[in-house]
Amino acid sequence: MNNNTVLELENISYKYKNDLILNKVNLQINSGEKIALLGKSGSGKTTLISILNGTIKPTQGEVKLFNKSFEELDRKQKSKITTIWQDLRLIEDLSAEQNVNCGLLAENNFYFAFKNLLNISSFKKAHKYMKLCRLHTSIYDKKIRKLSGGQKQRVAIARSLIQESNILLADEPFNNLDPKLITTIKNLLLENVYKNNTKKSPKTALVALHRLDLLNDFDKVIGIRDGKIFFNIKRNNLKKIHLEEIF
Amino acid sequence: MNKLKLNYTSLSFLPILVCIPLGYQLINNIHFGGFKLFQDFLISAFNPKIDNEIIITVIKRLNETILIGFFSWLVSIIFGAIFGIISSNIFYKIFNIPNFFYLIIRFFLTIIRSIHEVVWGILLMQIYGINFSIGIIAICIPYIAVNSKVFAEQLETIDYKSFESINQINAPKFSSLLTLIWNPIINTFKNFGLYRLECSIRSTVILGLFGIGGIGTSIFLSFQTLNFRELWTYLWSLAILIILSGLIFKKIKFNTTNKILSIFFISVFFITILFSFSYFLYFIFNNNFENFNSVSSLFKSSSDLGLFDFLKLILETIILSLLSTGIAISLPPLVIGIFNKNTSKIFIKIFAFLLRLIPTPVILLTLLTFNNPSVSLAALTLGLHNAGITSKLLFTNLDSQDKRNYIAMKSLGISKKTSWLLGLFSQQAKSYLAYCAYRSDIIIRETAIVGVIGSVGLGWQLQESLSSFAWQEVTLVLIAYSSIAIVGELINGKIKNSLT
Repeated sequence: MNNNTVLELENISYKYKNDLILNKVNLQINSGEKIALLGKSGSGKTTLISILNGTIKPTQGEVKLFNKSFEELDRKQKSKITTIWQDLRLIEDLSAEQNVNCGLLAENNFYFAFKNLLNISSFKKAHKYMKLCRLHTSIYDKKIRKLSGGQKQRVAIARSLIQESNILLADEPFNNLDPKLITTIKNLLLENVYKNNTKKSPKTALVALHRLDLLNDFDKVIGIRDGKIFFNIKRNNLKKIHLEEIF
Repeated sequence: MNKLKLNYTSLSFLPILVCIPLGYQLINNIHFGGFKLFQDFLISAFNPKIDNEIIITVIKRLNETILIGFFSWLVSIIFGAIFGIISSNIFYKIFNIPNFFYLIIRFFLTIIRSIHEVVWGILLMQIYGINFSIGIIAICIPYIAVNSKVFAEQLETIDYKSFESINQINAPKFSSLLTLIWNPIINTFKNFGLYRLECSIRSTVILGLFGIGGIGTSIFLSFQTLNFRELWTYLWSLAILIILSGLIFKKIKFNTTNKILSIFFISVFFITILFSFSYFLYFIFNNNFENFNSVSSLFKSSSDLGLFDFLKLILETIILSLLSTGIAISLPPLVIGIFNKNTSKIFIKIFAFLLRLIPTPVILLTLLTFNNPSVSLAALTLGLHNAGITSKLLFTNLDSQDKRNYIAMKSLGISKKTSWLLGLFSQQAKSYLAYCAYRSDIIIRETAIVGVIGSVGLGWQLQESLSSFAWQEVTLVLIAYSSIAIVGELINGKIKNSLT
């Protein structure tokens, strides 16, 4: 591990029932790195992301954030990671703007959560990120269940962006988006959208992908197959043979 | 020979077989002494007494009923929501509390709700004497536990992935909890609030029959004096109250986006909690125990109840529950299926409304005018009253159902009854049976009411033991009641899970 490492997996295995989903995975993610995670469906990408953000505990091994074990971290430290889930995990009965505001729950108190549910909190910041995600104002107060797949996807992205976290984990974030929107969202996720804010840390991102044409903006590529990391290389070194190994 | 195949539709009709032993006993117990009274009772429904004096009494009694019913509803729905939250999985997941506490709270609430409000009422009356607040407290105790179950069940439906997502944001735990439970709580209140209000009013009426006050007391007194015209005045006024409360509740919009309304509802929420606590403390410290001097009297009192008699009472209560449940499940689809015309449906709906409206003790007392007290008569009463409730649900579901299958079957020349059965009811049978499983929990609890009046089962023994201050017997009966209700709830829970 070097001083620049933000996230580290040490010998991680994860078993679900009798299936070994991840098998002795070692990984270091350095500050500012943009990493693409490639692999077939069911190869362990989502599980890896869930372990990295602390949602599931590994059966074996240790996860470290800023050189500290996950168990030792407090709430504020953990909130430096934001996740865009493949299945979005939005709250269906809340409106789009309320869902986006949920991203601010970590840095606010109980009263904020209460005001958010009563629709009396400020949605200024939520609207800013919804606008960045090209969401039309007419859907801001609509319940999630009434939105299209693409709109839901962008609400989930806006919820993640509003957290202004240093580390982004994203599982297939470009699903349901048309090509023009993919470019916009990709720029939002990989460039430092918070550059006008006081936070100076470069953004670190690990994004699970299926589409190879989106790899250009990433520094590194990780290939995963059957719960094992097959390669972890710089994007420029990626060859056809690598892809054949994992697909 | 073809094997008999049971499906949800046939399972809905099968319990009607309970009518064979039930009918046999009822026919054997028939007597003709009270037919005239029964006839008077029916005729009086169309000719209720209306004069200044009775109108003033009705207004006064309805006021009491509304007060007891409304306050017990408000307190029980708010505390029900609070207990629902702390007895739901999501609470323990967010706060990382060991499951052990979850099981303890659930068990405690199951015991509380297994005892009917009438039993709580009679018990509290024996301890504190007749008191207006006894009505509210007697309803609130089991209702908080019942409502908490309803809220907890809704909270269990929260998508686990939403929880994971909020948890991953690392928000303060109370903020996460509030964000996740907000909508299920509001929706449960919207969907069940009116029904629970209706239940509160009904329970107030039933407790009134036992002397708590309100319109129930007037109904009982007029029945005792055989003043059926007066009785029907009270019953019709009660019907108007229930219909009006339903209309008012439907008019209220629980719009959480309206700031003023939201602040109003939140104020009501906190004021009710504060008021309940202060009232509870006042009640505890300002009431003298009239008959129940100390806990030690529980151990001093002796019991003459033999083991055989006690087991017989338990068996009677179980049989009573099974027979009533059989009627409550099968009678509505059978009657609606046979009399499947629009005009017949109106009559069935009116009849079902009357069965829901008339308190079970009054139905039982009316039936006792021409039949001797027996388990079958008590079961018929309880079954009919609950059939009134299950038929309401069945009608609501059938009316809102897509009728294309039914129309298609009729167009093929299939008879109206068969088309109804296969094209309409068969699609509802599963959810209807799931609701009936929930209803049978309530039927077990309600055996206490008909037991007290109809000399059957543990309810009767409870009344006897309480009257003679035999606290040891009272405790035994209550433990037996709780045990039956808890076992019943476990079995019904399994049935419900397999149906949903």
